Amino acid sequence: MLNWVEERTGIVSMTNDFLTEDVPGGASYWYVFGSATLFAMIIQIVTGIFLTFYYSPSVNTAWESTLFIYQKVNFGSFILSLHFWGATAMIALVVLHLLQVLIWGAYKKPRELQWVVGVLLFLMTLVLGLTGYLLPWDLNAYFASKVAINIAGTVPIIGQATQYFLQDGASMGTLTINRFFGVHVWLVPAVLVLLTALHLIIFRHNGGAGPPTDQPARTLKQGRFWPDQMFMDAFASFVVFAIIVGLSIWSPAPLDAKADPSNNAFVASPAWYFNALYAMLEVVPDQFSLIATVIGPGIAVAVLFLLPWLDRDPTRQLGRRKGVLGITTVAIVSIVGLSLFGQHTIDVKAAAVGQTAPTVPGGTDAAKFAAGGTAPVATTGNGEAIYKANCTACHGASGGGTPGAFPPLAKNPDVSGDAKKIEHIVLYGLNGKLTVNGADYNGQMPAWKGQLKDQEIADVINFIRTTWGNTGSGKVTAADLAKVAK
Amino acid sequence: MANATLAVGGVIGLVLTVPVVGYLIPSKEVLASGAHWWPLNADDFAKLKTSTDPIKISFTRRVQDAYTPPVESEDYVWGVAMSDAQLAKMKAERPGLAAGPGQVTYPYVEMGYVIFSSICPHLGCKFDWKPELHKFLCPCHNSEFLRDGEHVAGPAARGLDPLPLREQSGKAEITWIQYKSAISGRIVITYS
Repeated sequence: MLNWVEERTGIVSMTNDFLTEDVPGGASYWYVFGSATLFAMIIQIVTGIFLTFYYSPSVNTAWESTLFIYQKVNFGSFILSLHFWGATAMIALVVLHLLQVLIWGAYKKPRELQWVVGVLLFLMTLVLGLTGYLLPWDLNAYFASKVAINIAGTVPIIGQATQYFLQDGASMGTLTINRFFGVHVWLVPAVLVLLTALHLIIFRHNGGAGPPTDQPARTLKQGRFWPDQMFMDAFASFVVFAIIVGLSIWSPAPLDAKADPSNNAFVASPAWYFNALYAMLEVVPDQFSLIATVIGPGIAVAVLFLLPWLDRDPTRQLGRRKGVLGITTVAIVSIVGLSLFGQHTIDVKAAAVGQTAPTVPGGTDAAKFAAGGTAPVATTGNGEAIYKANCTACHGASGGGTPGAFPPLAKNPDVSGDAKKIEHIVLYGLNGKLTVNGADYNGQMPAWKGQLKDQEIADVINFIRTTWGNTGSGKVTAADLAKVAK
Repeated sequence: MANATLAVGGVIGLVLTVPVVGYLIPSKEVLASGAHWWPLNADDFAKLKTSTDPIKISFTRRVQDAYTPPVESEDYVWGVAMSDAQLAKMKAERPGLAAGPGQVTYPYVEMGYVIFSSICPHLGCKFDWKPELHKFLCPCHNSEFLRDGEHVAGPAARGLDPLPLREQSGKAEITWIQYKSAISGRIVITYS
């Protein structure tokens, strides 16, 4: 069978070639970071593809379809949370991989271009994190992305054009969501897959760098990629997988209330991997904020790209690279410190306004959608909210009514007079012609008994009897309503 | 070692595949729909009184498609006036409506009218009344039905589907039902 396939395709020998690879110094758990990053990428691609089966990018559907995935799709919360935690895993692993190559000096000749492609992959991963963050279109997505886009707008000369380009317009909206969706789902993943292939092709050309010694890798004892190293890679991937599965089950991805551009109390927080940048903006004096947002990160990225040429010393021995390792240590400590400080700052700000993480997907907007987006959002005790949700369509936002069909409630003697009359109308509805203040109305008032709770009906009656110049006296209670016979 | 590697990969694949397959299958919530009475256009319905031909009666129902905002969706049904003689003939010609697997579980004649769904029971196209042929004709595969819904030609497996009709506060109302297509029985697929 295999021979038959091999003769016609060459796939078997191709796979053998692929799996046959020397591992300098022997197979080791030190070498799993690249493979584990690749594994996280595959998880992201698989879960991401399936998320597009339900997600719909537009201002009217982005948040709604995300909530739909949580509320109405089998395993929806799990798949979405895998993608959420998979992103964290991929960023963490790509950083660990980069750090190891950095510390072990594996970027040195002849692996300069392999390193450059790797830095590109790292940046692409960050772009994926940034663009994916906007897509759920909840409060946090909206304001965190707004900050990121506005930072891009502060860049001298090209800033404004860049901001318009990112938003695809003068402000954030449907076109922004679609643009981020296209970048997140098609453009960057396509580039990422091609660059990953290039990264691996160059890796195969150069061979593994091996442990940080100056002994040529080819002279070391050689281990086997298959099955020894491959097992370690698979085991590491399994550990990563088990962690993100566990997190997805016990700590699903959060979704806040829908993006509301008018909300002026929400404390937006960036994804944790941008906490250091967030903290920089806090620490640096305002007149120098460009240093925190653009210049500093720009220099850091440039240094990463140029590292193989900035550090031309061929030695890979840790003890003889004190300068580079010292700078690396300082950088790691600074970034970790800034990240912790950034998180602390966000926590303090959120605590100051009493903001807590959403307890259910959708936060305070969750119920709106569970009821099909149509049912009244009745808030017991808040007659005005009940009125707005149920009555304004016919009687108007300020009780003005609809000429010929639905009578005004403002200055309507039936509303502010004896409560018995209005109680009966709201409970059991009203049909046929009606004259209010000399004008005729012929619409149909539905019966609200059973549609709203008695307490809610009492609340809305009390609201309309004491608003818009109405002077109804005495409070209507749910107990009163229970006594009103049809 | 090779087997252990494959086993680890297999476990990951399985833990991923099971939820993904479940995720792709339409959930109960997605399929759920409740029966609802929708008022028929009064002007169209009034024409039934004077017409011997079937009348296209429009009605509006409120539908919510997944996570998109609910919309008023206009559709239509076919109304047919039935005299006592015509009704007796219909019952004789279409015994399956009252018995067997194609049975309709509600009274389908109210106030002397029968309301037919506008969906062809063959494969879901919309048929039209051809006054010159005195038949309903479906443009997709040429299924033909008589005025009382009896299937007389073409590939359909059953006659036209009558819908529940009632009078409420002076208005005629129907329940919109989509039945499974292409089979002789009537199985409710959805009310939306």
